[in-house]
Amino acid sequence: MTLTRPNNPVVLARGLTKEFGDLKAVAGVDFEIASNECIGFLGPNGAGKTTLMRIIYSAVEKTAGDLTVFGMEPMRQRKEINARVGVVFQDNNLDQELRAADTLLVHALYCGLDRRTARRRIATLLDWMELSEKAKSTIRALSGGMVRRLMIARALLHSPRLLILDEPTTGLDPQVRHAIWALLRDLKRRGLTILLTTHYMEEAQQLSERVMIMDHGQIIRSGEPNTLITHHLERYVLQASGLAEIPALDGKVRHEHAGDADYFYSNAEEPLQALYDALPTRHVVLRHANLEDVFLKFTGRGLSQ
Amino acid sequence: MNTRESPELAELWAPVALRTGLVWSLFGVWYRHVRVYCQTFLANATPPILEPLFFFTAIAIGLGSYMSKGLFDGLPYPTYVASGLLVASAMFTAVFETTYNTFVRLIYQKTYDAMLGTHLRISEMFIGEMLFSATKGAVFASVVLLITLLFGVRPTVWCLFVPVIGFLTAYMFAAIGLIVTSYVKTITNFSFFSTGVITPLFFFSGTFFPVRGHHWAIDTISMLVPLTHPIELSRALFKAEFTLATGMHLAMLLAFIVLLHSISLRRMAKRVLR
Repeated sequence: MTLTRPNNPVVLARGLTKEFGDLKAVAGVDFEIASNECIGFLGPNGAGKTTLMRIIYSAVEKTAGDLTVFGMEPMRQRKEINARVGVVFQDNNLDQELRAADTLLVHALYCGLDRRTARRRIATLLDWMELSEKAKSTIRALSGGMVRRLMIARALLHSPRLLILDEPTTGLDPQVRHAIWALLRDLKRRGLTILLTTHYMEEAQQLSERVMIMDHGQIIRSGEPNTLITHHLERYVLQASGLAEIPALDGKVRHEHAGDADYFYSNAEEPLQALYDALPTRHVVLRHANLEDVFLKFTGRGLSQ
Repeated sequence: MNTRESPELAELWAPVALRTGLVWSLFGVWYRHVRVYCQTFLANATPPILEPLFFFTAIAIGLGSYMSKGLFDGLPYPTYVASGLLVASAMFTAVFETTYNTFVRLIYQKTYDAMLGTHLRISEMFIGEMLFSATKGAVFASVVLLITLLFGVRPTVWCLFVPVIGFLTAYMFAAIGLIVTSYVKTITNFSFFSTGVITPLFFFSGTFFPVRGHHWAIDTISMLVPLTHPIELSRALFKAEFTLATGMHLAMLLAFIVLLHSISLRRMAKRVLR
Protein backbone atom coordinates (compact mmCIF):
# COMPACT_ATOMS: atom_id res chain seq x y z
CA MET A 1 0.00 0.00 0.00
CA THR A 2 1.48 3.34 -1.00
CA LEU A 3 0.49 6.50 0.74
CA THR A 4 1.47 9.77 -0.82
CA ARG A 5 2.92 12.03 1.82
CA PRO A 6 1.27 15.42 1.55
CA ASN A 7 3.57 18.40 1.96
CA ASN A 8 1.31 20.50 4.12
CA PRO A 9 -1.14 18.19 5.77
CA VAL A 10 -4.30 19.75 7.14
CA VAL A 11 -4.18 17.35 10.06
CA LEU A 12 -1.07 15.53 11.23
CA ALA A 13 -1.16 13.11 14.16
CA ARG A 14 1.70 11.14 15.66
CA GLY A 15 1.18 8.79 18.59
CA LEU A 16 -1.96 10.71 19.49
CA THR A 17 -3.44 9.39 22.73
CA LYS A 18 -6.37 10.24 24.95
CA GLU A 19 -7.03 8.48 28.22
CA PHE A 20 -10.10 8.84 30.40
CA GLY A 21 -8.90 7.35 33.66
CA ASP A 22 -8.09 3.75 32.80
CA LEU A 23 -9.82 3.87 29.45
CA LYS A 24 -7.66 4.53 26.40
CA ALA A 25 -10.19 6.16 24.09
CA VAL A 26 -7.52 6.97 21.52
CA ALA A 27 -4.49 4.74 21.81
CA GLY A 28 -1.56 6.18 19.88
CA VAL A 29 -2.79 6.89 16.37
CA ASP A 30 -0.73 8.17 13.42
CA PHE A 31 -2.31 9.67 10.35
CA GLU A 32 -2.26 12.66 8.09
CA ILE A 33 -4.90 14.33 6.01
CA ALA A 34 -4.02 16.28 2.89
CA SER A 35 -5.80 19.38 1.69
CA ASN A 36 -9.05 18.65 -0.18
CA GLU A 37 -9.02 15.01 0.85
CA CYS A 38 -12.08 13.25 2.22
CA ILE A 39 -11.23 10.81 4.97
CA GLY A 40 -13.64 8.44 6.65
CA PHE A 41 -13.07 7.11 10.14
CA LEU A 42 -14.88 3.82 10.43
CA GLY A 43 -15.46 1.93 13.58
CA PRO A 44 -17.95 0.40 15.96
CA ASN A 45 -19.47 2.49 18.76
CA GLY A 46 -16.82 3.29 21.35
CA ALA A 47 -13.92 2.86 18.92
CA GLY A 48 -12.68 6.37 19.69
CA LYS A 49 -13.84 8.16 16.53
CA THR A 50 -15.77 10.95 18.21
CA THR A 51 -13.02 11.55 20.78
CA LEU A 52 -10.51 11.85 17.96
CA MET A 53 -12.67 14.47 16.22
CA ARG A 54 -13.12 16.36 19.49
CA ILE A 55 -9.36 16.51 20.02
CA ILE A 56 -8.98 18.03 16.53
CA TYR A 57 -11.35 20.92 17.30
CA SER A 58 -10.05 21.41 20.86
CA ALA A 59 -13.09 20.11 22.72
CA VAL A 60 -10.97 17.45 24.43
CA GLU A 61 -7.37 17.73 25.52
CA LYS A 62 -4.99 15.02 24.29
CA THR A 63 -3.11 13.02 26.90
CA ALA A 64 0.01 12.35 24.81
CA GLY A 65 1.42 12.45 21.30
CA ASP A 66 1.55 15.20 18.70
CA LEU A 67 -1.21 16.78 16.70
CA THR A 68 -1.21 19.75 14.38
CA VAL A 69 -4.19 21.16 12.51
CA PHE A 70 -3.31 23.62 9.72
CA GLY A 71 0.18 23.45 11.23
CA MET A 72 -1.08 24.76 14.56
CA GLU A 73 -1.54 23.18 17.95
CA PRO A 74 -5.11 22.50 19.17
CA MET A 75 -5.97 23.94 22.62
CA ARG A 76 -3.10 26.44 22.41
CA GLN A 77 -4.29 27.89 19.11
CA ARG A 78 -7.94 27.01 19.47
CA LYS A 79 -9.17 30.32 18.01
CA GLU A 80 -6.96 30.28 14.94
CA ILE A 81 -7.73 26.64 14.18
CA ASN A 82 -11.45 26.69 14.80
CA ALA A 83 -11.90 29.81 12.69
CA ARG A 84 -11.09 27.46 9.78
CA VAL A 85 -12.98 24.41 11.02
CA GLY A 86 -16.69 23.67 10.73
CA VAL A 87 -18.24 20.92 12.84
CA VAL A 88 -21.43 18.97 12.17
CA PHE A 89 -22.41 17.19 15.36
CA GLN A 90 -24.00 13.82 15.80
CA ASP A 91 -26.66 15.22 18.14
CA ASN A 92 -29.08 17.92 17.15
CA ASN A 93 -27.69 20.79 19.22
CA LEU A 94 -29.42 23.59 17.35
CA ASP A 95 -31.22 26.02 19.65
CA GLN A 96 -34.58 24.29 19.83
CA GLU A 97 -36.49 27.38 20.92
CA LEU A 98 -35.40 29.47 17.95
CA ARG A 99 -36.47 29.61 14.34
CA ALA A 100 -34.18 28.02 11.76
CA ALA A 101 -32.74 31.29 10.43
CA ASP A 102 -32.26 32.65 13.97
CA THR A 103 -30.34 29.62 15.20
CA LEU A 104 -27.98 30.20 12.26
CA LEU A 105 -27.73 33.90 13.09
CA VAL A 106 -26.82 33.13 16.69
CA HIS A 107 -24.12 30.76 15.51
CA ALA A 108 -22.82 33.24 12.95
CA LEU A 109 -22.34 35.77 15.73
CA TYR A 110 -20.40 33.21 17.81
CA CYS A 111 -18.18 32.82 14.78
CA GLY A 112 -17.62 36.57 14.64
CA LEU A 113 -19.46 37.45 11.43
CA ASP A 114 -20.99 40.88 11.30
CA ARG A 115 -24.76 40.86 11.23
CA ARG A 116 -25.08 42.05 7.62
CA THR A 117 -22.72 39.40 6.23
CA ALA A 118 -24.34 36.81 8.46
CA ARG A 119 -27.83 37.50 7.12
CA ARG A 120 -26.63 37.39 3.52
CA ARG A 121 -24.79 34.10 3.99
CA ILE A 122 -27.70 32.57 5.89
CA ALA A 123 -30.10 33.43 3.04
CA THR A 124 -27.69 31.96 0.46
CA LEU A 125 -27.05 28.80 2.46
CA LEU A 126 -30.73 28.18 3.18
CA ASP A 127 -31.49 28.66 -0.50
CA TRP A 128 -28.67 26.32 -1.55
CA MET A 129 -29.87 23.69 0.92
CA GLU A 130 -33.47 24.14 -0.24
CA LEU A 131 -34.50 25.21 3.24
CA SER A 132 -35.60 28.77 2.45
CA GLU A 133 -39.24 27.94 3.09
CA LYS A 134 -38.32 26.69 6.54
CA ALA A 135 -36.39 29.80 7.57
CA LYS A 136 -39.14 30.81 9.97
CA SER A 137 -39.98 27.33 11.26
CA THR A 138 -38.88 26.38 14.74
CA ILE A 139 -36.36 23.57 14.95
CA ARG A 140 -38.93 21.26 16.50
CA ALA A 141 -41.05 21.50 13.36
CA LEU A 142 -38.26 20.23 11.07
CA SER A 143 -37.76 16.65 9.87
CA GLY A 144 -34.56 14.75 10.67
CA GLY A 145 -33.16 15.37 7.20
CA MET A 146 -33.86 19.10 7.40
CA VAL A 147 -32.21 19.29 10.80
CA ARG A 148 -29.11 17.62 9.40
CA ARG A 149 -28.97 19.95 6.42
CA LEU A 150 -29.43 22.91 8.72
CA MET A 151 -26.55 21.67 10.87
CA ILE A 152 -24.35 21.40 7.78
CA ALA A 153 -25.41 24.93 6.78
CA ARG A 154 -24.50 26.13 10.26
CA ALA A 155 -21.04 24.57 9.99
CA LEU A 156 -20.45 26.41 6.70
CA LEU A 157 -21.42 29.90 7.90
CA HIS A 158 -17.86 31.09 8.47
CA SER A 159 -16.46 29.50 5.28
CA PRO A 160 -14.30 26.82 6.94
CA ARG A 161 -11.53 24.97 5.08
CA LEU A 162 -11.96 21.74 7.05
CA LEU A 163 -15.38 20.22 7.67
CA ILE A 164 -15.71 17.62 10.43
CA LEU A 165 -18.86 15.49 10.37
CA ASP A 166 -19.66 13.06 13.16
CA GLU A 167 -21.93 10.35 11.76
CA PRO A 168 -23.66 12.71 9.31
CA THR A 169 -26.39 10.34 8.18
CA THR A 170 -27.08 8.17 11.22
CA GLY A 171 -30.83 7.76 11.66
CA LEU A 172 -31.79 9.20 8.26
CA ASP A 173 -33.83 7.49 5.58
CA PRO A 174 -32.13 6.37 2.32
CA GLN A 175 -33.31 9.30 0.17
CA VAL A 176 -32.00 11.83 2.64
CA ARG A 177 -28.74 9.93 3.04
CA HIS A 178 -28.12 10.04 -0.69
CA ALA A 179 -28.98 13.75 -0.80
CA ILE A 180 -26.49 14.43 2.01
CA TRP A 181 -23.82 12.42 0.23
CA ALA A 182 -24.36 14.43 -2.95
CA LEU A 183 -24.05 17.58 -0.89
CA LEU A 184 -20.79 16.46 0.70
CA ARG A 185 -19.31 15.49 -2.67
CA ASP A 186 -20.25 18.95 -3.90
CA LEU A 187 -18.47 20.52 -0.93
CA LYS A 188 -15.37 18.51 -1.70
CA ARG A 189 -15.42 19.70 -5.32
CA ARG A 190 -15.48 23.22 -3.95
CA GLY A 191 -12.19 22.61 -2.21
CA LEU A 192 -13.12 21.66 1.35
CA THR A 193 -11.20 19.04 3.26
CA ILE A 194 -13.67 16.61 4.80
CA LEU A 195 -13.27 14.38 7.78
CA LEU A 196 -16.16 12.14 8.71
CA THR A 197 -16.89 9.37 11.12
CA THR A 198 -19.39 6.71 10.31
CA HIS A 199 -20.31 3.14 10.93
CA TYR A 200 -21.93 2.89 7.53
CA MET A 201 -19.43 1.22 5.24
CA GLU A 202 -21.34 2.37 2.19
CA GLU A 203 -21.00 5.95 3.33
CA ALA A 204 -17.24 5.64 3.66
CA GLN A 205 -17.00 3.90 0.29
CA GLN A 206 -19.19 6.54 -1.42
CA LEU A 207 -17.41 9.59 -0.07
CA SER A 208 -13.87 8.96 1.06
CA GLU A 209 -10.63 8.57 -0.81
CA ARG A 210 -9.18 6.88 2.20
CA VAL A 211 -10.71 5.19 5.18
CA MET A 212 -9.23 4.45 8.58
CA ILE A 213 -10.74 1.52 10.38
CA MET A 214 -10.70 2.13 14.12
CA ASP A 215 -11.23 -0.31 16.94
CA HIS A 216 -10.37 0.03 20.63
CA GLY A 217 -8.84 3.46 20.04
CA GLN A 218 -6.43 2.30 17.36
CA ILE A 219 -6.37 2.61 13.58
CA ILE A 220 -6.15 -1.03 12.66
CA ARG A 221 -6.21 -0.64 8.86
CA SER A 222 -6.18 2.31 6.53
CA GLY A 223 -6.18 2.91 2.81
CA GLU A 224 -8.31 3.40 -0.24
CA PRO A 225 -11.63 1.55 0.18
CA ASN A 226 -11.26 -0.60 -2.96
CA THR A 227 -7.61 -1.38 -2.25
CA LEU A 228 -8.52 -2.46 1.26
CA ILE A 229 -11.13 -4.82 -0.11
CA THR A 230 -8.95 -6.39 -2.80
CA HIS A 231 -5.97 -6.68 -0.46
CA HIS A 232 -7.77 -8.39 2.34
CA LEU A 233 -10.61 -10.34 0.77
CA GLU A 234 -11.70 -12.36 -2.22
CA ARG A 235 -13.83 -10.58 -4.80
CA TYR A 236 -17.14 -12.30 -4.12
CA VAL A 237 -19.04 -13.31 -1.04
CA LEU A 238 -21.97 -15.66 -0.65
CA GLN A 239 -23.76 -15.07 2.60
CA ALA A 240 -26.28 -17.61 3.86
CA SER A 241 -28.05 -18.13 7.14
CA GLY A 242 -29.74 -21.10 8.73
CA LEU A 243 -27.75 -23.79 6.94
CA ALA A 244 -28.17 -27.24 8.49
CA GLU A 245 -24.98 -28.55 6.91
CA ILE A 246 -22.15 -27.15 4.86
CA PRO A 247 -21.96 -28.51 1.31
CA ALA A 248 -18.68 -29.85 -0.03
CA LEU A 249 -16.55 -26.99 -1.32
CA ASP A 250 -13.89 -26.93 -3.98
CA GLY A 251 -10.47 -25.51 -3.18
CA LYS A 252 -11.28 -22.05 -4.57
CA VAL A 253 -13.91 -21.33 -1.93
CA ARG A 254 -13.08 -20.25 1.60
CA HIS A 255 -15.67 -20.74 4.32
CA GLU A 256 -16.29 -18.82 7.53
CA HIS A 257 -18.95 -19.33 10.15
CA ALA A 258 -20.21 -16.62 12.50
CA GLY A 259 -23.36 -16.70 14.60
CA ASP A 260 -26.09 -18.36 12.53
CA ALA A 261 -24.52 -17.21 9.24
CA ASP A 262 -22.06 -18.81 6.85
CA TYR A 263 -19.81 -16.86 4.51
CA PHE A 264 -18.27 -18.31 1.36
CA TYR A 265 -15.52 -16.29 -0.32
CA SER A 266 -14.06 -16.73 -3.76
CA ASN A 267 -12.25 -14.72 -6.42
CA ALA A 268 -14.31 -16.46 -9.09
CA GLU A 269 -18.03 -16.00 -9.35
CA GLU A 270 -18.92 -19.45 -10.83
CA PRO A 271 -18.33 -21.70 -7.80
CA LEU A 272 -20.37 -19.34 -5.63
CA GLN A 273 -23.13 -19.18 -8.26
CA ALA A 274 -23.26 -22.97 -8.24
CA LEU A 275 -23.40 -22.93 -4.46
CA TYR A 276 -26.17 -20.31 -4.57
CA ASP A 277 -28.30 -22.55 -6.80
CA ALA A 278 -27.63 -25.60 -4.65
CA LEU A 279 -28.33 -24.17 -1.21
CA PRO A 280 -31.77 -25.01 0.20
CA THR A 281 -32.27 -21.78 2.17
CA ARG A 282 -33.92 -18.63 0.82
CA HIS A 283 -31.80 -16.41 3.04
CA VAL A 284 -28.84 -16.29 0.74
CA VAL A 285 -27.10 -13.39 -0.98
CA LEU A 286 -24.34 -13.42 -3.58
CA ARG A 287 -22.50 -10.13 -3.90
CA HIS A 288 -19.18 -8.35 -4.28
CA ALA A 289 -17.07 -8.23 -1.16
CA ASN A 290 -17.36 -4.76 0.36
CA LEU A 291 -15.87 -2.63 3.03
CA GLU A 292 -18.21 -4.08 5.58
CA ASP A 293 -16.64 -7.51 5.10
CA VAL A 294 -13.19 -6.02 5.58
CA PHE A 295 -14.39 -4.18 8.62
CA LEU A 296 -15.95 -7.25 10.15
CA LYS A 297 -12.90 -9.33 9.31
CA PHE A 298 -10.75 -7.03 11.43
CA THR A 299 -13.15 -6.03 14.18
CA GLY A 300 -14.74 -9.46 14.49
CA ARG A 301 -18.22 -10.65 13.59
CA GLY A 302 -19.20 -11.31 17.17
CA LEU A 303 -21.08 -9.03 19.54
CA SER A 304 -18.07 -8.84 21.87
CA GLN A 305 -17.91 -5.04 21.67
CA MET B 1 -29.44 20.98 -4.89
CA ASN B 2 -29.72 24.05 -7.07
CA THR B 3 -27.40 23.81 -10.03
CA ARG B 4 -27.35 27.47 -11.04
CA GLU B 5 -24.39 29.30 -9.58
CA SER B 6 -25.38 32.70 -8.35
CA PRO B 7 -22.71 35.22 -7.33
CA GLU B 8 -23.94 34.86 -3.74
CA LEU B 9 -23.30 31.12 -3.88
CA ALA B 10 -19.83 31.60 -5.33
CA GLU B 11 -19.07 34.08 -2.55
CA LEU B 12 -20.00 31.47 0.05
CA TRP B 13 -16.74 29.57 -0.46
CA ALA B 14 -14.43 32.55 -0.33
CA PRO B 15 -12.71 33.38 2.96
CA VAL B 16 -14.76 35.68 5.17
CA ALA B 17 -13.62 38.21 7.77
CA LEU B 18 -14.21 37.00 11.35
CA ARG B 19 -14.09 39.16 14.44
CA THR B 20 -12.69 36.76 16.98
CA GLY B 21 -11.78 39.26 19.70
CA LEU B 22 -13.02 39.03 23.27
CA VAL B 23 -15.75 41.66 23.04
CA TRP B 24 -17.40 40.17 19.93
CA SER B 25 -17.20 36.68 21.38
CA LEU B 26 -18.84 37.79 24.63
CA PHE B 27 -21.49 39.64 22.66
CA GLY B 28 -22.20 36.53 20.57
CA VAL B 29 -22.78 34.36 23.62
CA TRP B 30 -24.77 37.05 25.42
CA TYR B 31 -26.92 37.61 22.34
CA ARG B 32 -27.71 33.90 22.08
CA HIS B 33 -29.03 33.78 25.63
CA VAL B 34 -31.02 36.99 25.23
CA ARG B 35 -32.52 35.70 22.00
CA VAL B 36 -33.55 32.34 23.44
CA TYR B 37 -34.81 33.98 26.65
CA CYS B 38 -36.98 36.45 24.77
CA GLN B 39 -38.46 33.65 22.68
CA THR B 40 -40.19 32.36 25.82
CA PHE B 41 -40.26 35.64 27.69
CA LEU B 42 -43.58 35.40 29.50
CA ALA B 43 -42.99 31.93 30.87
CA ASN B 44 -39.44 32.90 31.82
CA ALA B 45 -40.02 36.22 33.44
CA THR B 46 -43.39 35.94 35.14
CA PRO B 47 -42.50 33.78 38.19
CA PRO B 48 -39.34 35.69 39.16
CA ILE B 49 -41.25 38.99 38.99
CA LEU B 50 -44.29 37.73 40.88
CA GLU B 51 -42.38 36.01 43.68
CA PRO B 52 -40.75 39.11 45.20
CA LEU B 53 -44.11 40.84 44.88
CA PHE B 54 -45.78 38.17 46.99
CA PHE B 55 -43.07 38.50 49.62
CA PHE B 56 -43.36 42.26 49.52
CA THR B 57 -47.14 42.41 49.90
CA ALA B 58 -47.28 39.62 52.53
CA ILE B 59 -44.39 40.75 54.69
CA ALA B 60 -43.74 44.45 54.10
CA ILE B 61 -47.37 45.47 53.67
CA GLY B 62 -49.23 42.70 55.53
CA LEU B 63 -46.98 41.86 58.45
CA GLY B 64 -45.54 45.38 58.38
CA SER B 65 -48.94 46.90 59.14
CA TYR B 66 -48.81 45.27 62.60
CA MET B 67 -45.44 46.79 63.39
CA SER B 68 -44.77 50.05 65.16
CA LYS B 69 -44.32 52.93 62.75
CA GLY B 70 -40.73 53.40 63.89
CA LEU B 71 -37.76 53.18 61.58
CA PHE B 72 -35.98 49.98 60.68
CA ASP B 73 -32.27 50.59 60.32
CA GLY B 74 -33.20 54.18 59.51
CA LEU B 75 -35.89 53.25 56.95
CA PRO B 76 -39.67 52.70 56.99
CA TYR B 77 -40.26 48.92 57.04
CA PRO B 78 -41.67 48.61 53.45
CA THR B 79 -38.66 50.50 52.12
CA TYR B 80 -36.35 48.35 54.21
CA VAL B 81 -37.84 45.16 52.74
CA ALA B 82 -37.98 46.51 49.17
CA SER B 83 -34.30 47.44 49.25
CA GLY B 84 -33.47 43.86 50.25
CA LEU B 85 -35.95 42.13 47.95
CA LEU B 86 -34.67 43.77 44.80
CA VAL B 87 -31.23 42.35 45.54
CA ALA B 88 -32.71 38.94 46.35
CA SER B 89 -34.57 38.89 43.03
CA ALA B 90 -31.28 39.49 41.20
CA MET B 91 -29.82 36.59 43.17
CA PHE B 92 -32.69 34.25 42.33
CA THR B 93 -32.67 34.93 38.62
CA ALA B 94 -28.90 34.47 38.37
CA VAL B 95 -28.78 31.31 40.44
CA PHE B 96 -31.63 29.73 38.53
CA GLU B 97 -30.02 30.64 35.21
CA THR B 98 -26.65 29.07 35.93
CA THR B 99 -27.88 25.99 37.78
CA TYR B 100 -30.97 24.49 36.14
CA ASN B 101 -30.67 26.29 32.80
CA THR B 102 -26.94 25.77 32.46
CA PHE B 103 -27.35 22.10 33.32
CA VAL B 104 -30.04 21.68 30.66
CA ARG B 105 -27.77 23.37 28.09
CA LEU B 106 -24.84 21.23 29.19
CA ILE B 107 -26.48 17.81 29.31
CA TYR B 108 -29.68 17.88 27.27
CA GLN B 109 -29.40 20.62 24.66
CA LYS B 110 -25.63 20.32 24.17
CA THR B 111 -25.45 24.06 23.60
CA TYR B 112 -21.83 24.22 24.76
CA ASP B 113 -20.84 21.47 22.33
CA ALA B 114 -22.09 23.68 19.53
CA MET B 115 -20.06 26.58 20.94
CA LEU B 116 -16.98 24.37 21.29
CA GLY B 117 -17.13 23.79 17.54
CA THR B 118 -16.37 27.48 17.03
CA HIS B 119 -13.38 29.62 17.94
CA LEU B 120 -15.00 30.67 21.24
CA ARG B 121 -12.85 30.11 24.31
CA ILE B 122 -14.44 28.31 27.22
CA SER B 123 -13.85 31.39 29.37
CA GLU B 124 -15.71 33.48 26.79
CA MET B 125 -18.61 31.05 26.75
CA PHE B 126 -19.12 31.34 30.48
CA ILE B 127 -18.27 35.00 30.98
CA GLY B 128 -20.88 35.68 28.30
CA GLU B 129 -23.31 33.55 30.25
CA MET B 130 -22.61 35.37 33.52
CA LEU B 131 -22.98 38.72 31.76
CA PHE B 132 -26.38 37.58 30.53
CA SER B 133 -27.37 36.58 34.09
CA ALA B 134 -26.08 39.93 35.32
CA THR B 135 -28.15 41.74 32.70
CA LYS B 136 -31.22 39.90 33.93
CA GLY B 137 -30.27 40.81 37.51
CA ALA B 138 -30.09 44.50 36.59
CA VAL B 139 -33.49 44.36 34.91
CA PHE B 140 -35.19 42.37 37.67
CA ALA B 141 -33.85 44.56 40.48
CA SER B 142 -35.11 47.62 38.60
CA VAL B 143 -38.53 46.08 37.99
CA VAL B 144 -38.90 45.19 41.68
CA LEU B 145 -37.90 48.74 42.56
CA LEU B 146 -40.44 50.24 40.15
CA ILE B 147 -43.27 48.04 41.38
CA THR B 148 -42.58 48.67 45.06
CA LEU B 149 -42.59 52.41 44.30
CA LEU B 150 -46.27 51.95 43.42
CA PHE B 151 -46.80 50.65 46.96
CA GLY B 152 -45.42 53.84 48.46
CA VAL B 153 -41.75 52.98 48.85
CA ARG B 154 -39.76 56.24 48.89
CA PRO B 155 -36.65 56.25 46.67
CA THR B 156 -33.69 58.60 46.70
CA VAL B 157 -31.83 59.84 43.66
CA TRP B 158 -29.16 57.26 44.50
CA CYS B 159 -31.64 54.53 43.58
CA LEU B 160 -30.56 55.15 39.98
CA PHE B 161 -27.71 52.81 40.94
CA VAL B 162 -30.11 49.94 41.67
CA PRO B 163 -29.46 48.34 38.24
CA VAL B 164 -25.74 48.36 39.03
CA ILE B 165 -26.33 46.57 42.35
CA GLY B 166 -28.61 44.10 40.57
CA PHE B 167 -25.96 43.52 37.90
CA LEU B 168 -23.15 42.89 40.39
CA THR B 169 -25.29 40.70 42.63
CA ALA B 170 -26.41 38.58 39.71
CA TYR B 171 -22.86 38.26 38.34
CA MET B 172 -21.66 36.99 41.70
CA PHE B 173 -24.49 34.48 42.06
CA ALA B 174 -24.15 33.38 38.43
CA ALA B 175 -20.57 32.42 39.26
CA ILE B 176 -21.74 30.55 42.38
CA GLY B 177 -24.35 28.74 40.28
CA LEU B 178 -21.74 27.69 37.71
CA ILE B 179 -19.47 26.34 40.43
CA VAL B 180 -22.34 24.25 41.83
CA THR B 181 -23.30 23.06 38.34
CA SER B 182 -19.74 21.95 37.66
CA TYR B 183 -20.07 19.40 40.48
CA VAL B 184 -23.66 18.28 39.96
CA LYS B 185 -24.33 14.87 38.41
CA THR B 186 -28.12 14.89 38.08
CA ILE B 187 -30.53 17.78 37.92
CA THR B 188 -32.29 16.79 41.18
CA ASN B 189 -29.09 17.56 43.11
CA PHE B 190 -29.83 21.25 42.70
CA SER B 191 -32.66 21.10 45.22
CA PHE B 192 -30.07 20.59 47.99
CA PHE B 193 -28.40 23.79 46.90
CA SER B 194 -31.57 25.85 46.52
CA THR B 195 -33.12 24.64 49.79
CA GLY B 196 -29.89 24.34 51.74
CA VAL B 197 -28.10 27.48 50.60
CA ILE B 198 -30.23 29.94 48.65
CA THR B 199 -33.33 29.85 50.85
CA PRO B 200 -31.39 30.45 54.11
CA LEU B 201 -29.41 33.21 52.39
CA PHE B 202 -32.67 34.81 51.38
CA PHE B 203 -34.08 34.79 54.91
CA PHE B 204 -30.93 35.38 56.96
CA SER B 205 -28.94 37.96 55.00
CA GLY B 206 -30.92 40.95 56.17
CA THR B 207 -33.71 41.00 53.62
CA PHE B 208 -36.49 41.12 56.24
CA PHE B 209 -34.73 42.00 59.48
CA PRO B 210 -31.26 43.19 60.57
CA VAL B 211 -29.14 40.14 61.25
CA ARG B 212 -26.20 41.95 62.75
CA GLY B 213 -25.90 43.52 66.16
CA HIS B 214 -27.08 40.50 68.18
CA HIS B 215 -23.87 38.58 68.71
CA TRP B 216 -20.30 39.01 67.47
CA ALA B 217 -20.25 35.49 65.98
CA ILE B 218 -23.33 36.18 63.86
CA ASP B 219 -21.83 39.48 62.77
CA THR B 220 -18.66 37.72 61.62
CA ILE B 221 -20.57 35.04 59.72
CA SER B 222 -22.77 37.63 58.04
CA MET B 223 -19.66 39.35 56.66
CA LEU B 224 -18.72 36.10 54.92
CA VAL B 225 -22.17 35.61 53.45
CA PRO B 226 -22.20 36.93 49.87
CA LEU B 227 -25.74 38.31 49.88
CA THR B 228 -25.08 40.59 52.89
CA HIS B 229 -22.94 43.05 50.95
CA PRO B 230 -25.20 43.96 48.03
CA ILE B 231 -28.15 44.25 50.44
CA GLU B 232 -26.19 46.67 52.60
CA LEU B 233 -25.21 48.63 49.49
CA SER B 234 -28.80 48.76 48.31
CA ARG B 235 -29.84 50.05 51.72
CA ALA B 236 -27.20 52.74 51.56
CA LEU B 237 -28.79 53.92 48.31
CA PHE B 238 -32.22 54.17 49.95
CA LYS B 239 -30.78 55.94 53.00
CA ALA B 240 -28.53 58.13 50.82
CA GLU B 241 -25.98 57.58 53.54
CA PHE B 242 -22.48 56.44 52.62
CA THR B 243 -19.96 55.57 55.31
CA LEU B 244 -16.72 53.67 55.60
CA ALA B 245 -18.84 50.53 56.07
CA THR B 246 -20.48 51.14 52.67
CA GLY B 247 -17.07 51.21 51.04
CA MET B 248 -16.14 48.02 52.83
CA HIS B 249 -19.31 46.28 51.57
CA LEU B 250 -18.53 47.39 48.02
CA ALA B 251 -14.96 46.12 48.37
CA MET B 252 -16.20 42.78 49.74
CA LEU B 253 -18.72 42.42 46.91
CA LEU B 254 -16.08 43.08 44.27
CA ALA B 255 -13.64 40.72 45.98
CA PHE B 256 -16.27 37.98 46.03
CA ILE B 257 -16.96 38.56 42.33
CA VAL B 258 -13.30 38.35 41.32
CA LEU B 259 -12.73 35.20 43.36
CA LEU B 260 -15.92 33.37 42.33
CA HIS B 261 -15.51 34.42 38.69
CA SER B 262 -12.10 32.78 38.41
CA ILE B 263 -13.13 29.63 40.30
CA SER B 264 -16.24 29.21 38.15
CA LEU B 265 -14.29 29.50 34.89
CA ARG B 266 -11.74 26.94 36.00
CA ARG B 267 -14.46 24.54 37.15
CA MET B 268 -16.54 24.86 33.99
CA ALA B 269 -13.50 24.37 31.75
CA LYS B 270 -12.90 21.10 33.56
CA ARG B 271 -16.52 20.11 33.23
CA VAL B 272 -16.91 20.95 29.55
CA LEU B 273 -13.55 19.71 28.18
CA ARG B 274 -14.21 16.03 28.48
